[in-house]
Amino acid sequence: MSAHHSDPLQNPEVQQGSTLRFATAFLASVLFMGAALLVSQHKLPFLEFAEILVGLTFLTLAAQATLFFGLDISRAQIWKSVSLILTVPLFIISVGLTVWAFSSLYSRTMLPANEVPSMSMPMDSNATMSMPAQQTLLQ
Amino acid sequence: MATIAKAGPNTRLWNAEADEHDTISTRTFGFWLYMLSDALIFTGIFASYAVLSTPMNLAGGPGPAQVTNAVEGFWQTLIILGSVFAYSQATVALKNGSKAGVAAGILVAMVLGVAFVSMGWHDLAALTAQGNGYSRSAYLSIFFTLIATHGLHMGIGILWMLIMLVQIVRFGFTADVVARLLNLRMFWQFQATIWVIVYVYVYLLGGTA
Repeated sequence: MSAHHSDPLQNPEVQQGSTLRFATAFLASVLFMGAALLVSQHKLPFLEFAEILVGLTFLTLAAQATLFFGLDISRAQIWKSVSLILTVPLFIISVGLTVWAFSSLYSRTMLPANEVPSMSMPMDSNATMSMPAQQTLLQ
Repeated sequence: MATIAKAGPNTRLWNAEADEHDTISTRTFGFWLYMLSDALIFTGIFASYAVLSTPMNLAGGPGPAQVTNAVEGFWQTLIILGSVFAYSQATVALKNGSKAGVAAGILVAMVLGVAFVSMGWHDLAALTAQGNGYSRSAYLSIFFTLIATHGLHMGIGILWMLIMLVQIVRFGFTADVVARLLNLRMFWQFQATIWVIVYVYVYLLGGTA
């Protein structure tokens, strides 16, 4: 925590505000997201495309954290920086573990998508089902 | 034998040489922790989105490539980043003690925020009108949930700005008002951060995949 100031406008977080810093954050974010949009318009292998997007997203978020939020290791901001660094792995673990847990669930437990009759179509005698799908159901 | 000193009117239970308690920084740090926990709500929604955006969950309805438009999403990205920049400029005016500057920055941020929410609302309304509403499929349920949750946060931010405009006029730059303005700056910047992830994850990655 920072030192006490009787004038609230002298608080370090107020004094941290800077047009140059905020403009740089804005321009960097627009630039990186514009680059991401341009990349998405090209036919790239999915893995390569995903890697580029992850990189550009990381750059955008880093620019926002340091320039918009003003996170650094100063006395006024260090605990915000530390708490963010400790929380980011929770985000990654939450999404990553969920995706990993469900990645093979459908292939193990559900019918292939092309074997499932439409939701709007009632399951009657006209609804046909392939042999593998019937076997899967019977199992 | 040790003696136990009784607490009296002059007893001090803290280090007198240490920094005094800074109310504004304590409040902004508390709000920062709240925002990190709020971010975990979005994490849950992103995890659900990852699970429910598979072909199995489309139920014959449209998928990510049909309900998102990367170029339109980029316009929304520009608008929300512009809104955050405008609010950030309001806090630069706060540093200079300019009430008019703060009010102008907040007003521009509000207008751009309303434009952003309107675009999102229009997209969801158009999907619903086409028969692809919230309950059409599991995928559309999580898509609507994600966009609406972010839109709800934006709406709360816009309402908060309106309240701060009144407080600035009524109370001036008191410690309470300054702490709230700083918290609102973090909250508003947080919305842009979340939107960047939504845009990349849903509009670009999902839309292309």
